[in-house]
Amino acid sequence: MHIPDSFIPMGQAIIYWVIALPFIFMSLKWARKELDDMKVPILAALAAGIFAIQALNIPIGMGTSGHMVGAALVAIIFGSPMAGVLVLTLVLLVQGFVFGDGGITTMGANIVNMGVISGFVGYYTFAALKNKTGIKAASFVGAWLGLLVSSVACAVEMYVAGTFPLEAGLAAMGLYHLIIGFIGEGLITAIVIIAIEKARPDLLDSSVTSVNGVGA
Amino acid sequence: MNVSVSKGMNMKFLYAGIIIALLVAIAAPFLASSDPDGLESAAGNVIDEAKLAEMEESEPFMESPMPDYAIEGQGKTGEVLAIVIGTLLVLGISFGLGKLAKK
Repeated sequence: MHIPDSFIPMGQAIIYWVIALPFIFMSLKWARKELDDMKVPILAALAAGIFAIQALNIPIGMGTSGHMVGAALVAIIFGSPMAGVLVLTLVLLVQGFVFGDGGITTMGANIVNMGVISGFVGYYTFAALKNKTGIKAASFVGAWLGLLVSSVACAVEMYVAGTFPLEAGLAAMGLYHLIIGFIGEGLITAIVIIAIEKARPDLLDSSVTSVNGVGA
Repeated sequence: MNVSVSKGMNMKFLYAGIIIALLVAIAAPFLASSDPDGLESAAGNVIDEAKLAEMEESEPFMESPMPDYAIEGQGKTGEVLAIVIGTLLVLGISFGLGKLAKK
């Protein structure tokens, strides 16, 4: 879902940067407040893993592929969507400047979609569901919905940019990311959360596990 | 839990994470689907051909050193190298930023 430079006119691309910057700033404030010697290695390992897995496109049929975004996973582990914004911002900076994956002018929009929207929707869906469904189902649904909603936002941005027609754009983006979100986002997120819960439950933010066990 | 023990465990998590990330990075050029991603595929469906071709021809805002996760003329080896370099770069930047930001 990395928007290239040519898909959004400069004037609009700047607006998405203006929207992205306060979130980047807040994510740095989060880092100052929350990170310590214990959490830095976890953050770095997750960021490296997410960069690598974003290079692994999974075929979804219809001549289309997709990959994990990862903001929801990071947000769930650290108990804050700001952690997802921080990691995705760093990943998108390297992808854009070193590999030309996602534009430079459109990086603001990509940070808003993949860092902010998919992370916030993913995290708060997870938080709302976890006591009812347990953390496995909640992390699956949260990550899946986060990706789907961010793709819908992307389709609307493409319409505003004059690049996609509204309905056909929404239908195509929604359909593809509904499937990508299922495999690439929901399943991988749930698997990683389960693995960490088994091996290192102490790593999950206390908000993740606090009431867990009552229903699960 | 003893703090130093736990810190060692988190460094272990980091090493495990680096190994997994590098394995994915090395496998990605061989395993990844070359089909267009969701956005590119949608663009192919909803934008008319001439306009899409023109958009794809347009120069990016900035030339990147390893476009499309490849090193010119280096084939699959170059792709592996590109993704490994990217993974280590993200690792270093996030570790460094984390160390700078921590209280």
